[in-house]
Amino acid sequence: MEMVVVAPPAPGKVEDLKRRFFATPLQALLSLMSLAIMAFVVWKLLDWAVFSAVFTTSGGPEACQAAAGACWSVIAARWRIILFGLYPFEEQWRSALACVAVVVMTVLSCIPAFWTGRRIALVWGAGTALYYVLMKGGVLGLSYVGEEAWGGLALTLFIFVTTCLIGFPLAVCLALLRRSELPWISRTTALIIDGVRSLPLISILFTFAIVLPFALPQWLVGDKLYRVILGSALFFSAYQAEIVRGGMQGVPAGQEEAAMALGMSYWQRISRILLPQAMRNALPATINQFVISFKETSLVVIVGFFEILASGNAAYGTGEWRFAYVEVYAFIAFIYFIFVFSLSRYGAFLERRMSVGER
Amino acid sequence: MNPGKASGPAVRIENLDKHYGTFHALRKVNLSVGRGERIVVCGPSGSGKSTVIRCINRLEQHDGGRITVLGTELNDDVANIDGIRREVGMVFQHFNLFPHMTVLENCMIAPMIVRKLPRTEAETTARRYLEKVRIPEQAMKFPGQLSGGQQQRVAIARALCMQPQIMLFDEPTSALDPEMISEVLDVMVTLASDGMTMICVTHEMGFARRVADRVVFMDGGEIVEEAPPEEFFTSCRNDRTRQFLSQILGH
Ligand SMILES: Nc1ncnc2c1ncn2[C@@H]1O[C@H](COP(=O)(O)OP(=O)(O)OP(=O)(O)O)[C@@H](O)[C@H]1O
Ligand SMILES: [Mg+2]
Repeated sequence: MEMVVVAPPAPGKVEDLKRRFFATPLQALLSLMSLAIMAFVVWKLLDWAVFSAVFTTSGGPEACQAAAGACWSVIAARWRIILFGLYPFEEQWRSALACVAVVVMTVLSCIPAFWTGRRIALVWGAGTALYYVLMKGGVLGLSYVGEEAWGGLALTLFIFVTTCLIGFPLAVCLALLRRSELPWISRTTALIIDGVRSLPLISILFTFAIVLPFALPQWLVGDKLYRVILGSALFFSAYQAEIVRGGMQGVPAGQEEAAMALGMSYWQRISRILLPQAMRNALPATINQFVISFKETSLVVIVGFFEILASGNAAYGTGEWRFAYVEVYAFIAFIYFIFVFSLSRYGAFLERRMSVGER
Repeated sequence: MNPGKASGPAVRIENLDKHYGTFHALRKVNLSVGRGERIVVCGPSGSGKSTVIRCINRLEQHDGGRITVLGTELNDDVANIDGIRREVGMVFQHFNLFPHMTVLENCMIAPMIVRKLPRTEAETTARRYLEKVRIPEQAMKFPGQLSGGQQQRVAIARALCMQPQIMLFDEPTSALDPEMISEVLDVMVTLASDGMTMICVTHEMGFARRVADRVVFMDGGEIVEEAPPEEFFTSCRNDRTRQFLSQILGH
């Protein structure tokens, strides 16, 4: 006969709870009151979001507005605008595939097995090329869609990823230049970094999108989208450069001396000894910077791009769904959360991985 | 340039001068080290010992005099500097192992990227030298997981993996607990008996007696005295040397 052993509740836990929250009558009262408030809030939220909510579009906006809970029908009716913006309706599968391409590219380049120069270049090259061809078309029988029609999540992801792809190497270069032994190089770099950091992102985006075309020769202007990406990459790199520099300062001078004494060249010392250790030091702040940049992509709306937040505005702003803005924003917040949360979890994974051998 | 093929002394230092800002750290230092010779450099703190040996592989730049290493003069020519650094190994007081690499990788990286050795060959060499410094079983650990004495032995193995012709030691045992000093010194004695050219800054006078061909005493940025160990310890001529010796041997 088999014995089923039911583990008694760990005595330590109950004791611990008692000691922490119910030590005195006053403390017990406060604990119970907080518990009641939390339960109330959670119940209200659940009731609004799930139990009394409307999920189908069958009743139309009117039935939905009459309901006591959330009107998720607006998402069911308008998700394509939120995710793809003004992209032509029949071609939106391309935009969806392009999103997938960017996400796959990002995930692949997060996997340590891809961290060799050739593989990472391959992944990024293929990813961005695929995105560009899918979105823009004009080849392979895909109809042409200009950058001004790109929008929604597809645009947000593209701006974020390209900002990081251009901004990160630029940041490393700036950080290296800033610690140059030649004063005129390090001072000039410091001036550039501090100059960019002292400007608000909005003014940089505005300058790159609107003002730059007047200053540049026609053949150099390019599409507004790429100018905006360059501006935001510049802004990103100025902050990230300081983060990388901080990481470098945490690497003892003896490390470079040891590498020099072994005969390593400047670039070998930088790439094999200094940067790996500096990036490990700078990792938490770097992930933070990535998260901030992801959210700052929403600022491109001021130069006329419909990234996901602006598309959301358009999704409820057209009349019949006007009342359902909370649901739309909740949905967009959820999408932001998914990306930002994965990013932080990935940061935590990297920290664990890199802390091997540290003591 | 082809260091090592030329004949003559391993290191020749003539009228070496070095300033840190306005501070005159080395004053007209002259020293010649033959191939296979073992030199011990000692002297009070701040006397310029580290500065001298760091000038030999150009971790510091001298501003007067000449340094010739394996027949090549050290100047601003980067190719010369890199060539010399390949042939001159260095062991530091604080080990300076690369903390983000395993012990084995620490020993393999320079042979692979500087000497362009294939991975398998670099690994064989690395394991051979780890064996030689008596820690083959630690190959897969990270430096942070080793004791100070073990780390310093890895540092010696790392330098040896480049198959240098000259080894520089800058107080290799002064950051170690007393019980670990001998394990490092033992390795250095073995190395000396293999005929390696060694320049060691150390205050381990037992080691100096045992292996040094010459002991050099520095004070105030100058070489004050230079003699074979038995003569150095028994009949040194200079007051400063005598005072220094009584301080470190005195109790
Ligand atoms: N980077 C530097 N900048 C300024 N002064 C320095 C620098 N390095 C060394 N010095 C000075 O040069 C002198 C010689 O230094 P060095 O490190 O060669 O002494 P040392 O004999 O090795 O002493 P120790 O036994 O303490 O290691 C010291 O007075 C020191 O203060
Ligand atoms: Mg010293």
